[in-house]
Order: sequence, then C-alpha cells, then structure tokens
Amino acid sequence: MRLKTKITLSENELVHAILTKDRNGAEALYDMYSSSLYGVIFRIVQHEEIAEDLLQDTFIRIWNSFSSYDASKGRLFTWMVNVARNIAIDKTRSKEFRNNSKTEDIENNVLTVDKQINSKINPEIIGLKDLIGKLKPEHKIILDLVYFEGFTHVEVAQKLEIPLGTVKTRLRNAIITLRKLFN
Amino acid sequence: MKNLKSYLESGILEQYVLGDLSVKEKLDVENNARQYPEVRKELEEIENALMSYARSNAIDPSKKIKTNFLNAVNNSDQVNISSSVNTGESYVRSLKFYKYAFAASLTLLFISSVLLFNLNNKLNESYVQLAILQSDNQKFTKQVNYKENELSDTKNALQFYQNPTAYKLVTLKGSAKAPEASLLVALNEEKEEVMIDLSSLRMPSNDQEHQYQLWAMVDGKPVDLGVFDAKDDSTGMKKMKFIKDAQSFAVTLEPKGGSLNPTMDKMMAIGTI
Repeated sequence: MRLKTKITLSENELVHAILTKDRNGAEALYDMYSSSLYGVIFRIVQHEEIAEDLLQDTFIRIWNSFSSYDASKGRLFTWMVNVARNIAIDKTRSKEFRNNSKTEDIENNVLTVDKQINSKINPEIIGLKDLIGKLKPEHKIILDLVYFEGFTHVEVAQKLEIPLGTVKTRLRNAIITLRKLFN
Repeated sequence: MKNLKSYLESGILEQYVLGDLSVKEKLDVENNARQYPEVRKELEEIENALMSYARSNAIDPSKKIKTNFLNAVNNSDQVNISSSVNTGESYVRSLKFYKYAFAASLTLLFISSVLLFNLNNKLNESYVQLAILQSDNQKFTKQVNYKENELSDTKNALQFYQNPTAYKLVTLKGSAKAPEASLLVALNEEKEEVMIDLSSLRMPSNDQEHQYQLWAMVDGKPVDLGVFDAKDDSTGMKKMKFIKDAQSFAVTLEPKGGSLNPTMDKMMAIGTI
C-alpha cells in the first residue's frame, strides 16, 4: 500500500507559502492541521457531514482572510482554531441547525463513537490519548467545554453552577497539566 | 508590572489563547506580551499545550474535503488573478458598455426627435384642417341661418297672398322721375298693420346719407310711415307705421332718418288704395 506523503513545513515556511498563495502552502496547511481542526469542529456540531462542510469553509476562510493573521500575536494554530470554532459555533446557533439536530442526535452519537474509534487507530496520537487520561475529570470537562464546544468562561460557570473564579482556576490548572504532559 | 507572577497566574492568558476576551482585554494582553518576555513565554506554552490537546483529539476528515479545498483554492486563485486582471478588463468592459449605452441613447434621441417632429407636423396639419372645417361649418351655419330667414320672410310674404281678404295689397308704381320703380305695400285695417314687401322693391340702392321714406296720404295730407333701405339683396316684409283712413301711399328719397314733410321732387313711387 502506497502512503501518500504529507507535506510538512515549518510554521514560518507555511505562513510564507500561504501569504504568497503557493499551492504547496495550501496542501501543507491542510495536511498539517485538518485533523486537529476537524476534531474541534466535529465536537462542536456533532454531525459528520456538517462538520466536513464547515472544515472546508474553515480552510477557505483561513486561506482567503490570511492577511488578518498576525504572527507576532501568537501561533498560527491558535488563530486557526479560533476561526474554526467561530464558524462551528455560528452554525450551531443557526435556526436550520437547531431544527435538524433534535432529530439526528442519536445517529450522530453513534458516529461520534465511530470517529473516536477511528482516531484511536491513528498511531500518531495514540500516545497522546493516554496522556489525556491523566487530566482530572473536573478540569477536563471545563477545558472541553471551552476548547471544543466554544463555551465562554461565563457560560461554563452558569452551566456547571460554579463560580467564575473557579472556572478560571480549573482551566488554568488543566492547561498546566497539559503543559507538563506534552512539554 | 508590579506583580507579574499573579498576572501570569490570573488565567487571563489562557482566556486570550482560547479567544474568550474583549477587544480591549486582548490589546492589553498583546501590549504586555510585547513588554514582558515572561508573558510571551507563558502564552507560547499555553498555545503549545492546547495545540497538543487538539492534536490528541484529532479526527481525520474524509479525503474529499482536501480535494474540495485544494480545488477551491485553485479556483479562487484563478478568480483572484482574473479579477485583478479584471479590474483593468472590467474597466475597459464597463467603458465599452458606457460607449454602447451612449451610442444607443443618441440613436434613441435621434429617433425620438424625428418621430416628435413628424408628429408635430401632423398635429399642425390637423389644426389647419380643423380650422378649415370650422370656417366651413360657420359658412354653412350662416347659410342655413340666411336660408331660414329667407324662408320665414317668404312665409311672411306668402300670408298676404294667401289672405287676400285680410290684407289689401297696394302696388306703388314709379313716378315720372323713376318710371322703373315699384313697391308692394300690404295694409291690414283690422290688425292695424302696414307692411312693405322688400323683395318686390324695384328702386335704386340708397347711399349712406339717404333713406327711402313711406308716406300715407290722409285727406290730402302726407303722414310719415317710417323709413327703409333699398339694397340689391333686400328680402322679406318690413313692418311700417300704421295710419287709419289712408287713401294712398307714396315713397320719397329723403335725408337719412327721414323728413317731416316729403320732398316732392324726390317722389319715387305712388299708389292709390
């Protein structure tokens, strides 16, 4: 079986390639970040087809409005994940989406499980999965609500009925745990 | 910054990376990141941690999304290129459009002008025809009126001849001075009417300063019965004054308005009842 080699560039090279509208830049951009961004989008909309459409929209948005990315203000991925999250959240707030999601919840939960099984097979992240298990559940839920479901800190505090300060502390602790795990 | 440590631990940098800050708060963080390497380092570590977290939750999308995206990028590149060329081309195109539009407008204006000119001519023609018709109409109306007058005159005249018992008809005959002259006078003693039949008048037309005057002779004295004009086209009956017991009628030519006494040497016609 022939594995199609994925293009990988350094972040600086990638930014330069996108700015110059290099076709290899588009491919590298997609290869390097599509699965990570898709993970975020999919967890927000919980619907495979919609999530894939939104992923495509996200990449096109990133490509077309790349001039608004300022490398001095942070990493490329941070900017991109915010673009993806905003597109996905906008979708979940649309009337059409809310009408559909009620009837398709069950089907999508099955898909979610499938997807998670698929992603477990991905050898690249198999070690990471184990690491995530080391996050405290009360930290992880807050991190997931904010990072994967687009909740603001205030919304998390309301949903979990805990003080805003606690949300901030737990989120910070969750990220500190991640830093220890990954760095 | 007084308390850098508590700033780093406040959670605001996490919020910044998660995109959960207001514009003003974001600018604050960005300023601090420029000033303090510690802030910058902290932000980087948070970003890296979250990027790794995202990677650990990555899901592979189906292959077609990549194809779609790359096609869209290629197409949009072409669109971008062609649209940047287009700014020139579309400018030329819009210039062309305006040229054609201008030419079309001129043509339309010309056609409209011609049509308007023709229409105006026709309208003027119609006005002339209308005026002609109106004057014709007036002429006919006049003629009809004239004929009606003539008809009523004739009818009036006719009654004298149809009622010979009521009207006494006296024919005045030309005097020695005007042997050709004649006039028919109708007298109705019962209705006390004296009429003259202008259509029967045979006398030269009088001028502006003179009029004919009708007289009645009663017991040898002339009595004024009124003046009248003689014209070539005079028709109909003219009612004159009435006098009882007239024995004869006479017509003289007098200064306009008539005289108190007849000018005998201007005697035109005379007739005995």
